[in-house]
Amino acid sequence: MSLASPPAILVVEDDTVILNTVSEILELEGYNVERASNGEEGLRAVERALPRLVLLDMRMPILDGWGFVRALKERGIKLPIIVMTAAQDARRWAQEIDAQGYLAKPFELLDLLAAVEDIQSPP
Amino acid sequence: MTANQLLQYTTWAVYVLIFISTTVKAVRRPLRANIDIALFFLLPTLIILQVALVGLGIEPNSPPILAVTIALFPLLVYMLLRLVDDFSTVPSWLLRLSETLLVVIVAGIFTTLQPPASSTSNSSNLPSWLQTFLIIYVLAMLGYCIVAFVREARSTKGVTSRRMGAAAVGTIFLALNIFVPQIGAAIPESQGVFAIISALLGLASSIAYFVGFSPPGVLRSAWQEPELRAFLSRATSLPRLATTEALITEFERGAAESIGTPQASIGIWDEAEQALRFNVDGAVSYVAADDDSLTGKSYLYQKAFFTENLKRDSPLAARQHSPNVTLIAAPISTESRKIGVLTAYATHVPIFAEEDLSLITLLADQAAVIIESRALNEESMRVRTREEITRLKEDFLSAAAHDLKTPLTSLVGRAQLMERRAERNPGAPADIESIRTISREAMRLKTLVLELLDAARADEGKLLGDLEETDLVAIAEEVCSRHTTDRHPCAVEAAAPVVGSFDVIRIRQVFENLFENAVKYSPEGGVVHVKLWTSGDKAYFSIRDHGIGIPNTDFSSIFERFHRGTNIDDRRFAGMGLGLYICREIVKQHHGKISVRSHRGEGTTFTVELPLRQPESEAQNLLAEKVQGTQSPSNANTPVQPQPDTQLPNLAVGQVLFAAPDESST
Repeated sequence: MSLASPPAILVVEDDTVILNTVSEILELEGYNVERASNGEEGLRAVERALPRLVLLDMRMPILDGWGFVRALKERGIKLPIIVMTAAQDARRWAQEIDAQGYLAKPFELLDLLAAVEDIQSPP
Repeated sequence: MTANQLLQYTTWAVYVLIFISTTVKAVRRPLRANIDIALFFLLPTLIILQVALVGLGIEPNSPPILAVTIALFPLLVYMLLRLVDDFSTVPSWLLRLSETLLVVIVAGIFTTLQPPASSTSNSSNLPSWLQTFLIIYVLAMLGYCIVAFVREARSTKGVTSRRMGAAAVGTIFLALNIFVPQIGAAIPESQGVFAIISALLGLASSIAYFVGFSPPGVLRSAWQEPELRAFLSRATSLPRLATTEALITEFERGAAESIGTPQASIGIWDEAEQALRFNVDGAVSYVAADDDSLTGKSYLYQKAFFTENLKRDSPLAARQHSPNVTLIAAPISTESRKIGVLTAYATHVPIFAEEDLSLITLLADQAAVIIESRALNEESMRVRTREEITRLKEDFLSAAAHDLKTPLTSLVGRAQLMERRAERNPGAPADIESIRTISREAMRLKTLVLELLDAARADEGKLLGDLEETDLVAIAEEVCSRHTTDRHPCAVEAAAPVVGSFDVIRIRQVFENLFENAVKYSPEGGVVHVKLWTSGDKAYFSIRDHGIGIPNTDFSSIFERFHRGTNIDDRRFAGMGLGLYICREIVKQHHGKISVRSHRGEGTTFTVELPLRQPESEAQNLLAEKVQGTQSPSNANTPVQPQPDTQLPNLAVGQVLFAAPDESST
């Protein structure tokens, strides 16, 4: 363990219940979690400290998932992203924004953990 | 050659040319009108002949020649009257009278004419009574003809109106031409000037008559052009008219104006009747596509026809279309489809000319394009409507899926989180926050699912169950007390119980729905007012909030399925957008009405009107359905309370939802 806290997983999701549930599941597994309820808040979190992974809802008020990804690109930041969406186009949207993976809602706890671990462990 | 002579020879040449032209036409088509026109122009030609004979040395004042010269004037005006009759209608008594008087005058001239006493004047050769009689006759006839032509010009359209106008002008010139020399005779010193004026008037008159009675094709087309041009430019907008009938009526009007006839009609081929269907002022008639009528022939042979003798060429049509005597018809067809026939009738033969065949063919082609484009428009509208339905279904499906998956995600995740926590730490106290979350999300899901199922039932018109005697005030108070909070107090106002026969469960649902809506848009502390009353055999209740109001533009759509607030991210409240739709359906199936009134910033009032008793037969139907357990045709379809339904065809929400492909397989 290094002295600084390990880079967090950033969860960006406008539905508070889902945001809290996902965050608590990850925290239970020992991950450090940053919460943001829209793209705007997500960007601020990224500017404070680079997360190692972003779990990103796509349809959100203020700044949606696409806006968030565009803003990252403008800032020259490249982060692994997992798309979380209830939409039918989950896979296509993930490809469009060049994400590492996607979780189609309603996903299960094990799906979530597996997706996160996939990204964490180097190939 | 003097200028005077030049003028004279020119005039002669024009007269002779016109005479030859009209005579050729009369020989080719020996119709009364054509013969009349030729005879009419023969008369001035005879005058020229007389002058020419004088030139050859024949004594001009020999009684027979002089008599003929004088007799030409009453003959000329009589011919003019016949021409009026060719183009419009002269009362037959007037024709007979003028003929009788003409015979009297001509006979008088030939019997009483004396060789002239002097060579300077020939007017004194007639007895003065005959002279006066002659002048009155000519004056009266000319006057009548001028009035008749002017009247005809005003009552007809397009080219016909212009022709009649020319004839009226010609008659005025003719009248001047006859009387100017009389004035000239009284002033001998300026006779030369009067001779020139007279010659000019004669020339102008004959040209006016020529273009009026027998216009050359070029002029005819030019005269048809303004109406045709105006009509064609208007025609492009015709396919946008509300109905095909309206389009056809409009086209008929424009075609009639372009051809210069009072009426044109379009017959559309009717597959079911196997005949051409005409609709004239609401009276429908059919014409078979066979040789019996020109109209039928035109459709059968796909050829334009023209007849100046309807009685001979199409006796049936002549009887049907009396007093029309002339017909022109052209097929309306595209390359792939024979659509119908365009016909124009006229009461007088010379209204149409053979050249009109090309005009009516042009108009018929235009009609084909417009009617076809209309049909294509309608087809594309149908396709658009189908596409719109598909799009709405997809939108709804994706919205519904999203709305159902969101609480499901929370439920599954939260439950599995609790499970894992309990496994890791079996002794830990109950995770009350998680339990509350699960309970809340389960309720959210329940509301959505029930809403969907209700909407599906509403589509089938089967929302209502048992009707029972109920006091609406009691329901309102119950709903109010259940939902009232400090943030949103509720006030029920009713002077007396409102008792009627309703489906209690559904009416409570309407109250709850409207109440939740009111709360949703109210500011903190905003009182929700519920008011109930009866009037006649109707129960009323209104629910008023002090919220932000509903934009006017949303009024028409808030009761429709799938309408959601513009703020789609307001997921806590948005639901499926089915709440008000279900309310409306419940009220509608009670044969009631629901309406909304709202002003920006002044809140919104929903008012429901319900009959206190359902119609007897309805109640029995409901009962019968219960007893037999059958699904008889839904009573909701009975148009007791016709209400404008959604613009789109009925969409069964149930079908949409349950026939959806499994999309969780990704």
